[in-house]
Amino acid sequence: MNRRDFLKYAAVGAAAITIDGCIPQSMRQQPTHHSHRLSTLTLNISEALVEMVDGTAVYMWLFENPAKGPRFPGPTISAQERDTVTLSVTNTLDEDHSFIIPGVVDSGPLTPGESKMLTFTAPAAGTYLYFDSLNAPVNRNLGLHGAMVILPHDLSTNPYTDPTPAVRDLFNDLGNSAHFPGEPWIPERSTVWLFSSVDPKFNQMAMVGNAIDPEKFINGYLPRYFTINGESGAFASHNHKTVPSGRIGQPHLIRIVNADVNVHSPHIHGNHVYVTAINGQSREDAHMVDTYSVFPMDRVDWLLPFMRPPDIPGDPNVPLRELIRNEMGMVLGGVPQAPLAYPMHGHDELSQTAAGGNYPQGMVTHWEITGDLDGVDFPSGH
Amino acid sequence: MTIREVRRRQIEEDEKAAFHKHVCPPTHGGPPPDPVAPTVTLARNLLVTIKHPLPDGSTVPMWVIEDPDDPVGGQVFPSPTIRVREGDVVHVRVGSRVNTHTIHWHGIEPTPMNDGVGKHSFEVTGNFTYQWLAAQSGTYFYHCHKNTTLHFEMGLYGLLLIDPPQGKGFVAGFNPPDHIIPYDVEGILVVDEIDSRWHFELENNHDAFMQKCDPEDPVNPAHFTQNGFLNDFRPDIFVINGVARVDDDTPIMDPGVAINAKVGQTILLRLLHSGYTIQRYTIGIDAEAIAFDGRPFGVPPFGKYSRPFIIAAGEPFILTVARRIELIIRPTKPGVFPVVVEFQHDITRRRLAFARTVINVI
Repeated sequence: MNRRDFLKYAAVGAAAITIDGCIPQSMRQQPTHHSHRLSTLTLNISEALVEMVDGTAVYMWLFENPAKGPRFPGPTISAQERDTVTLSVTNTLDEDHSFIIPGVVDSGPLTPGESKMLTFTAPAAGTYLYFDSLNAPVNRNLGLHGAMVILPHDLSTNPYTDPTPAVRDLFNDLGNSAHFPGEPWIPERSTVWLFSSVDPKFNQMAMVGNAIDPEKFINGYLPRYFTINGESGAFASHNHKTVPSGRIGQPHLIRIVNADVNVHSPHIHGNHVYVTAINGQSREDAHMVDTYSVFPMDRVDWLLPFMRPPDIPGDPNVPLRELIRNEMGMVLGGVPQAPLAYPMHGHDELSQTAAGGNYPQGMVTHWEITGDLDGVDFPSGH
Repeated sequence: MTIREVRRRQIEEDEKAAFHKHVCPPTHGGPPPDPVAPTVTLARNLLVTIKHPLPDGSTVPMWVIEDPDDPVGGQVFPSPTIRVREGDVVHVRVGSRVNTHTIHWHGIEPTPMNDGVGKHSFEVTGNFTYQWLAAQSGTYFYHCHKNTTLHFEMGLYGLLLIDPPQGKGFVAGFNPPDHIIPYDVEGILVVDEIDSRWHFELENNHDAFMQKCDPEDPVNPAHFTQNGFLNDFRPDIFVINGVARVDDDTPIMDPGVAINAKVGQTILLRLLHSGYTIQRYTIGIDAEAIAFDGRPFGVPPFGKYSRPFIIAAGEPFILTVARRIELIIRPTKPGVFPVVVEFQHDITRRRLAFARTVINVI
């Protein structure tokens, strides 16, 4: 899609609040005019036994969309800036819980069985974490968290409403400059990477109804499972909702949300990324990095440019499908080498473990390049 | 009431190969699949176990990546530095001498088969020649990417420096119009921590706590080990450029660590966090940060969305694992300026130790 087509298409984009997922297809399908769309979403604070990567079932507390059943983490809430969002939150558990998005909405303590309607105006475009703030960080860690993604009111080729000059220039240059040939960013090219970890001994305490002291929790916490969007290792690496995919010149926004109590140091292969926003603020300086620090509760946005990987030798004018034809024709371990897959993993390598080992069944996924800048997809393997 | 179960480990028949490869990559060797004539050819072998000396006269076992062409400094911790020039087409002939391994060129972005990640390519058996272009000068490193939690901790890494076309003594940075900054003194601090339990208990166990391979049933719970401790890191040795500190208060004055310069000179200081803790740095002299991760601030086209920034003397900054920063320091007066690294626990943020060295300006 070229820039003009994109703008035409974006102009008919519709506001839609969704729960569960990616930037909604409905934004394409519904013509729109109104500026303040209303929608009610239901979240139950509930419990379930969730299978970890090694098959171990762990008791968790979850924000559950009752239409979908329990899942870890809670569903992603998506809306557009200035939308009115109404949430019906019900605590189905035996102790107090809460729902909070700091600076946006706070249910306060919900007693067992209590329901509350929470209405708020969707805040500035960006990436948010919702969670249970009671007995912090215990309730959050035991599973009560999820991501919220807010897009600008006017869907555009920039994910922020009032970005800094550096971030504005970066997004303006995508698909519009010699160094970023291809397409501009579009809202559909967004992926949430929500980081969590699990130390089952505390989940076990919660299951049998024992109170957990937050100080003892932090000092005794030894995470045994590390997840992205609730999954680990091979599962997180083969979930199309977690794996950004596209051709060279199709830039992608990665929204990292760290619900964990660990500091993480995610490292991406294949392309450096730009750090475009931290905790809702677009950056004065958009640094290009291959590894970044993500502290507990941080939301860090990365612009993954989907550049041709810069360190492949050979004529830059020759399409990759020709330049590395032999590699793309290879099948190793039963898996074709095309598309080109590059990992993203915590370089705090403890996060790459499950049950204390089983590398790499921890906080890892990948992204993949499926075709060249000229729009031709790579040949699929033999 | 029965608690509902969330089952989510079912995989399709056609996913088996990818799930198996995730934990049990195939092996491969030979030339690069799409060879380009190299301008630099190097060799590295994995692995060699050395007894690395500590200040009290004892040693700790380390695994290192050997440079077989260097009979003097080829078996050291950290593993021998690779230094090439921007524009070089680099071939590194990597030999797996014990078991299978890979080398990942951290921050270098070649094709997946040259990226050194087993689950997206293969592990090296015999020899494989990795091929990549040194497209952008800067501070990088290389390391084994197999059972990485263990292999990176055991010492299978080294620095990888790319000089700009002007060569050593010059660094890319915001300095119109050519964006090259000359320097007189190069300081390098590679800061790491060692949990000696891992080293002594796992010295002969390259595949420690790995999952069992089963191509027909790659996600079978019975194939997962359950007794690992690679999520439990308790460092007791703290090193800069491989030299262990004595205690919290004593600066490391080893000539391979401490930096010496004269008033009026320009120092380029390269920092690499190669451990697993949170490292909080404080430098007793003003510094200008010019690059992260081999990407200079303010240098067009890719750096045009940022500018260098000043880190004032005594102002702390944090690096997490695998991050690099390049600093320019221009001392205007003589003195002994401390460089302090505080190591913090990654969850509690409790202080674990200090390591220190100095910038000595005459």
